[in-house]
Amino acid sequence: MGAVTYPDKKVAEFVMQGMVPLQVLADKPLAEEFKVKWTPTIVVLDCSGKEHHRTVGFFPPEEFIPNLLLGMGKVRFDADQFGDAIQHFDKLLAEYPQSGAAPEAIYLAGVSRYKSTHDAKPLKEAYEKLKAGYPQSEWTMRAQPYSLL
Amino acid sequence: MISWESEMTKALERGEREKKPILLDFFNPG
Repeated sequence: MGAVTYPDKKVAEFVMQGMVPLQVLADKPLAEEFKVKWTPTIVVLDCSGKEHHRTVGFFPPEEFIPNLLLGMGKVRFDADQFGDAIQHFDKLLAEYPQSGAAPEAIYLAGVSRYKSTHDAKPLKEAYEKLKAGYPQSEWTMRAQPYSLL
Repeated sequence: MISWESEMTKALERGEREKKPILLDFFNPG
């Protein structure tokens, strides 16, 4: 990450504009607190220090930004800030539709819209979008029951 | 260039002040 992804200009701008970057050696007590067993481990926290998203292993720049957008969306999702969460998921899907993070973003965007409106239609739409664009994704499997709505 | 914080307390203070989530990277310099 330090050789390829973090020096990338687009990654650096994204991180500096939207997040507070904190880098810690994996042998420090904080790593034990977060049960880190391998590096790189990247965790997205809210400003109280609560974990909302985690990845292990290398991400190139074009996958790292959508992964962070997913994490930022999940921070809002977990705080019931569904409008803000949808903005992050939709940005991910508009700018990085081929990202590995895209299927989870479709799923969570559908759930966020459902929780905002209590209309089940977005859940079914999320499943249909997943089935059409990402048929092998585990998120398509997870959304399969929504096909019956 | 990313300007990293190295202390959790300071990062959380900044996160609160700037209304931003924290990107926490555990790394091993090898």
